[in-house]
Amino acid sequence: MQIRLENLKRDYGSLHAVDGVSLNIPSNTVYGIIGRSGAGKSTLVRLVSMLERPDEGEVWYGDKRVDNLSKKELIEERRKIGMIFQNFNLFSSRTAAENIAYPMEICRKPKDWIKTRTEELLALVGLEGRGNAAVSTLSGGQKQRIAIARALACEPSILFCDEATSALDPQTTRSILALIKEIQKKMNLTVVMITHQMEVVRDACDRVAVLENGKVVEEGLVSDIFASPKSAVTKDFLSNLTNVKDSIVKLSDKTGHYTLRFSSSTTSEPIISRVTKETGALFNIVAAGVQYIEDKKYGVMVLDIGPDGETEKKAVEMLKRSGVTVERTVLEEEA
Amino acid sequence: MNSMIFKLVAESTLQTIEMVFWSTVFSLIMGLPLGVLLHVTDKEDQGGIIPKPVLNEILSRIVNILRSFPFLILMIVLMPVARFILGTTIGTRASVVSLSIAAAPFVARVIETSLKEVDPGVIQAAKAMGSTNWQIIVKVMLPEALPSLVSGVTLTIINLIGYSAMAGTIGGGGLGDLAIRYGYQRFRSDVMLAAVIVIIVLVEVVQFVGNKLSSRLLAKR
Repeated sequence: MQIRLENLKRDYGSLHAVDGVSLNIPSNTVYGIIGRSGAGKSTLVRLVSMLERPDEGEVWYGDKRVDNLSKKELIEERRKIGMIFQNFNLFSSRTAAENIAYPMEICRKPKDWIKTRTEELLALVGLEGRGNAAVSTLSGGQKQRIAIARALACEPSILFCDEATSALDPQTTRSILALIKEIQKKMNLTVVMITHQMEVVRDACDRVAVLENGKVVEEGLVSDIFASPKSAVTKDFLSNLTNVKDSIVKLSDKTGHYTLRFSSSTTSEPIISRVTKETGALFNIVAAGVQYIEDKKYGVMVLDIGPDGETEKKAVEMLKRSGVTVERTVLEEEA
Repeated sequence: MNSMIFKLVAESTLQTIEMVFWSTVFSLIMGLPLGVLLHVTDKEDQGGIIPKPVLNEILSRIVNILRSFPFLILMIVLMPVARFILGTTIGTRASVVSLSIAAAPFVARVIETSLKEVDPGVIQAAKAMGSTNWQIIVKVMLPEALPSLVSGVTLTIINLIGYSAMAGTIGGGGLGDLAIRYGYQRFRSDVMLAAVIVIIVLVEVVQFVGNKLSSRLLAKR
């Protein structure tokens, strides 16, 4: 199911939590929405998932407008979507299997049908035979698996993941993301993933929207955004990801500091050496790394260029010509 | 002699148990819906799923007023109600009427407090799945709060045991009645002592069973 947001707005007092968001979330994809805390992600997901009504704007699921439904229609429509949460939000009064059964119970599905379907879902999330387990005896990863099974019980066409991996360790996060991706393909789901972790976007999403102060500042294919991020927020997210931010060392106060990004076509060429040879520039590389996204390589390098301003200019130009994205890094002391 | 005390105490104990049992049942019947209503009509950030500020304020005030009445006075005020329902103001059955009505606001607050402890995230999840308000209350809120509700009911029963003894002073029957009529008015301190001991034992037993039940429910989670 395709999701379309048109100029969504939601205020809390004087705070514009969501301030004119328009997005087109294509069907059958994993779509990431990333933002720092306070960027408006949580409000946005509540608006998109019909938990809250927007002050202005429209939410469309396919051809159906869902932001202005009556109480009864709202309940009907909510039963067609699935949602998982940071804190899993499982019912502690129910066993794992009873948790999965809940959405089917409220739709008044027949008992034996619920039983078969629950077994199917437990197998789908890799927890066969754990149906009778009390929720508190499960690990975080297992809890999220049960939550996923519960969200998928009524075969939704959309799955919302609200910081679904934020409470999990990196390894469990990867396994949960792998599961979500696998299920997305199997069930042709549209998955909307709200997160503050770039790793999640990198590992699981096809497209991403970057949210800042209630607005979308950047949107596109994950591979494009990693290769050439445009907004400051995105760059910041990426620098956190590559772990270079804190290791920048100044060569001289007069020269600039640059972040170079190499996309897949430029990663296998000796560009730096070539620039050195032709312009006489001296590079002081302070941090570097390579990432793999969907089997493509992306290189990140943070460096200073010397020995003088003239050479620096030439070197930057040549780098740009070679297909490298060059950004001036603003260091904290300068800002 | 001793067998007479025994007979008196046994009879009164049964009356007390009967009184407490029925007033627990009736105060729950009145207090549970009231407690649920108090909680669900509260503000959204307090966990209310159907915020109704005016209704909530009115209910809350009524409950507070009823709760601030000294029990003995409330019993007297409620005598006409007992007369209206049963045609009499004396005896255990009349006491049940007053005890139930007097305990209902207490029960409502206890229930409300228990429901407030339920994780709001769980309620949000239930809502996101398309639960009706009724389903949220019956299938999520109350079951999630059950161990705490059991503790609340235990507290209610213990309170009612104390109240029922007070009901004895206005001719309500039971152990309180016995202690007043024999122990106080006829200076039979042995009867008084026996009545007090039985009341202590009753409270202890209720507390013990309630704790066990509540912790067993928690252990299963």
